[in-house]
Amino acid sequence: MTEENFEKFLKKTAQGYNAPPVRVPREEMWAAIQAKRAAGPRVVYGGGSASPAPVRRFGSKVWLGAAAAAMLLVATGVGIGRWTASGPTPRMAASRNDLPVPGVTISGGQATAPGTSSPAPASTSTSNPEPNRNVATGRNQTRAGGSNVASNPTTNPDRAQPARLTPSPTSAYQLTAMQNLSEAEALLTSFRSRSSADQQMDAQLGTWARQLLTNTRLLLDSPVGDDPQRRPLLQDLELVLVQIVQQLSPGSTPQDRELIEKTMQDNHVMTRLRTAIPAGAQRGS
Amino acid sequence: MQLVAYESRSSVNDTQLITRVVAGDAAAERELYETYVDRIYRLAFRLAGDDELARDFTQATFIRAFEKIGSFRGESSLSTWLHSIGLSVTLNGLRKTKRIRGRESPIEEGISVGFAREEAEPDLKERLARAIDSLSEKYRTVFVMHDVEGYTHDEISEAMGIPVGTSKSHLFQARSKLRVMLADFAPEWVS
Repeated sequence: MTEENFEKFLKKTAQGYNAPPVRVPREEMWAAIQAKRAAGPRVVYGGGSASPAPVRRFGSKVWLGAAAAAMLLVATGVGIGRWTASGPTPRMAASRNDLPVPGVTISGGQATAPGTSSPAPASTSTSNPEPNRNVATGRNQTRAGGSNVASNPTTNPDRAQPARLTPSPTSAYQLTAMQNLSEAEALLTSFRSRSSADQQMDAQLGTWARQLLTNTRLLLDSPVGDDPQRRPLLQDLELVLVQIVQQLSPGSTPQDRELIEKTMQDNHVMTRLRTAIPAGAQRGS
Repeated sequence: MQLVAYESRSSVNDTQLITRVVAGDAAAERELYETYVDRIYRLAFRLAGDDELARDFTQATFIRAFEKIGSFRGESSLSTWLHSIGLSVTLNGLRKTKRIRGRESPIEEGISVGFAREEAEPDLKERLARAIDSLSEKYRTVFVMHDVEGYTHDEISEAMGIPVGTSKSHLFQARSKLRVMLADFAPEWVS
């Protein structure tokens, strides 16, 4: 009984162990491989199979961020207003309601937000150095650029002086409208990214939507609502907000959310909102 | 033997083949498959003992290989790389299914079973199959690859990720245990 004999015996006998078939089913396996690859995740050469991109989950942090941004916008507006009101010019707006809107050009008693197409009167030409002209100076000019920018600090002789504005009730409406639209955009973003299982967030969003709905309706009844471009936006926004309030109330169905999404998409609400909001206001500055 | 065919492939051919596969050449994929499928399937079948399982493991091996071939660095041969994938897929699959290893039992139990059933199961091949099945996974894998399928210790060590000495040790241990379990068949190999 030698070791060599045993090894030979073992190798010979073990050939029958789980003996594979003579014919390897190449074609069948190849077809199965192709089918699985076609049905499975896409092959990515360079390491590993393609895994679905991680879904960005927006939680309550985003909602809180949006709310904080809205508050920052209001606080910044108040701060600018106080700073402007504390200037030496006695003709500056005496009340907050008469302050200019950041990013809004005041001209001839008419406020024009960037993004709207109301042309500035010819009297607001930047080359006119007349001091009592109702033109916003560099400190108040729009950050969004555009043709309505009132004055050029490098050419305007009044650039070293505070702005001289004629109090305009319309500007207050503009400020309120901008804030409302900014908040509406934040709300809609939060709503679209919310988790349906988060009841606490739903409650907060519902409260927020009701407040915005009230403000929107007030704006529709105000002089701002007379703007031929802004009024349709406010009306569409009102519709969406009504739907959101209803959807967030008990007894709503998942189809309600689809309806809201459809309304927003059909009317391009988000796009129009972002277009109407000045860049400065959008950032809360 | 068919096994020799792929072994004669040069590393240059492998490199070219890999380059074409990475570039999305479907014909190259098929060529790679045709070159290595027989051996991968045979090894899977030897370890699984079941055609359906062997097919599943072979398919999974090539699917994974096509997915990962872009990360193949050429540190080993393509054959070794494929076999390491095939071995990993097969052993993991067997652990999960346990369909084939229903007869598997600890080595000590295998010994007692072998002696106890000597009279009832005189067939040598059946006894040997039971004895091999009763080996632990690492012993059985090395034994099957070396003594049954003819892999070298170098190939086994690379495919299993173990040193060559360990592969030899495992084979020695496997043979020793089989010898004990088949002691009552000693006249077969003595003669």
